[in-house]
Amino acid sequence: MRGIHMLELKRTGIVALALGLVAGCADLQMKEAEDGPRSRVFVANESSNTVTVVDGDSFQVLATVDSRNHATHDLAVSRDGRWLFATNLASGRLSAINTRALETVASIATGDRAHVVTLTNDNRQAWVANIGDNTISIVDTGTFRILGTIAVGKGPTGLTFSRDGRFAYVSNQGDKTVEVIDTASHRVLKAIPVGTNPHFLVLGPDGRIWGTNTGGTDIYVIDPATQDKVGAINVGPAPQQIAFGFKGLQGPNAYVTVAGLNRVVVVSADPSNLRILEQIDVGQRPNGISNNREGTRLFVVHETSNDLKVIDTGSSSVLATVPVGRKPIRVVYHGN
Amino acid sequence: MTARAGWGGGVVIALAIWSLLPGGGAAPAAAQGVPVGTAQNAVGTLVVVRTDGIEHRLQGRGSLPLYEGDVLRTETASQALIQLRPGMPVALNERTTLKILSRWDKTAGTIRILRVSRGGVWAKAGDGARQLEIESPAAVAAARDAEIDLKVAEDGQTALTVVQGTAELGTPFGVCSVRGGTASVGARGTPCTAPQPANAATAVNWKQAVTQ
Repeated sequence: MRGIHMLELKRTGIVALALGLVAGCADLQMKEAEDGPRSRVFVANESSNTVTVVDGDSFQVLATVDSRNHATHDLAVSRDGRWLFATNLASGRLSAINTRALETVASIATGDRAHVVTLTNDNRQAWVANIGDNTISIVDTGTFRILGTIAVGKGPTGLTFSRDGRFAYVSNQGDKTVEVIDTASHRVLKAIPVGTNPHFLVLGPDGRIWGTNTGGTDIYVIDPATQDKVGAINVGPAPQQIAFGFKGLQGPNAYVTVAGLNRVVVVSADPSNLRILEQIDVGQRPNGISNNREGTRLFVVHETSNDLKVIDTGSSSVLATVPVGRKPIRVVYHGN
Repeated sequence: MTARAGWGGGVVIALAIWSLLPGGGAAPAAAQGVPVGTAQNAVGTLVVVRTDGIEHRLQGRGSLPLYEGDVLRTETASQALIQLRPGMPVALNERTTLKILSRWDKTAGTIRILRVSRGGVWAKAGDGARQLEIESPAAVAAARDAEIDLKVAEDGQTALTVVQGTAELGTPFGVCSVRGGTASVGARGTPCTAPQPANAATAVNWKQAVTQ
């Protein structure tokens, strides 16, 4: 009797939840129709297999999207904000998410332990690094077909493109290198030794490539003009990801999540004068970090406390803490 | 009776609502769940490696179930014929290695994919759920209502010959529409070549022994 009652309650709850979500989506669309498109923050929750969608201005959770895969890890959002691509480590698949409908509309088999995804500068291809296969899969973002693969070094974990799109950079944690790939020929041009367990890679504000050595304590900078490492600085144990922003007149600065310190370490973004400017206390095991377009807000996710913190770069203070899914790894911002 | 009917209706409504929830409804194809085809014949030996590493061998005629994620391998002097559901015959030439995969797409449903790392395959694809994509390191062939032959060299160079119908050969540098009786080549770092006339019958002669 009690069980049936509980089932009834659960059914009622499911119906209410479903109606609430449908109504929520309708409200969201009406609000966007009235106010124009809003900025959004997307969070990949590895242990929930979901993406949390947060309003980039009000910091309210708008939706939770099922990736339809397992161990959702990395994210890349299209320039127009209409498409979000999510890697899924355990499934070896890439989820294509329609950000207007807030649903996964395709699941693409890339390779064993699909780790990171980056869109080419024209957004026509998604490049996915598969750690288990030591390959990059090239996905057509229009047809979702795999157009080819590129063999790279051991354990590719980071991926980004140069400003002009001529080069792709792949960090290989097993080889302790960053490989430079010619995007016209898909040939590996060079392997640059960078340090212990290199991981995240990102294009910096001056066109240089910034990376973290997650197995060590340092971050480094590569200059695409010479394809050499031109700077490095110790920031603390297990640096994870990097974003960029300004503190008033000061900047651009690199903001590095340092998991071993539970802090965001602020570094001057001038490779010829790398120095630590400040350290900001955040939550437990910060990993993903992203900045708004203006560089005044940082969005940091924490693997252990399962939340997103919004930081004002001007005051280095936390503006909001938003609960997200389990083990959030990556966060990306899209402004409208 | 009334209560049971009520429950049934409730379950139907709950299921209908559940299908509207994010993550509800049809899930993408899961690995190693439902067979996606069968291996039907092997001249020499066909080796099937499951996702957990277990190996099966087919020699001669048989009916070996195939699952998503299986890796199929033929060595020198071996060929094989498999039948993918719902009705796509595929022949593997000697020294071929391929993996059975799929892509789920909300609009198109599940598209069967063969990822060939080396060797040669012949395939006959249909419409709808019977369309097929064959990936190589340098290109992808998409076949719908078409009979195709694909050869993948050690360096990934991929030659598509269309026997009947029209297929697409896609590379990271462009797509070629290849009609029956013509062939196109995709190589790493280059666009696919303009389709040239080809003797399609000769190109697929190799499969006679295993498809008879």
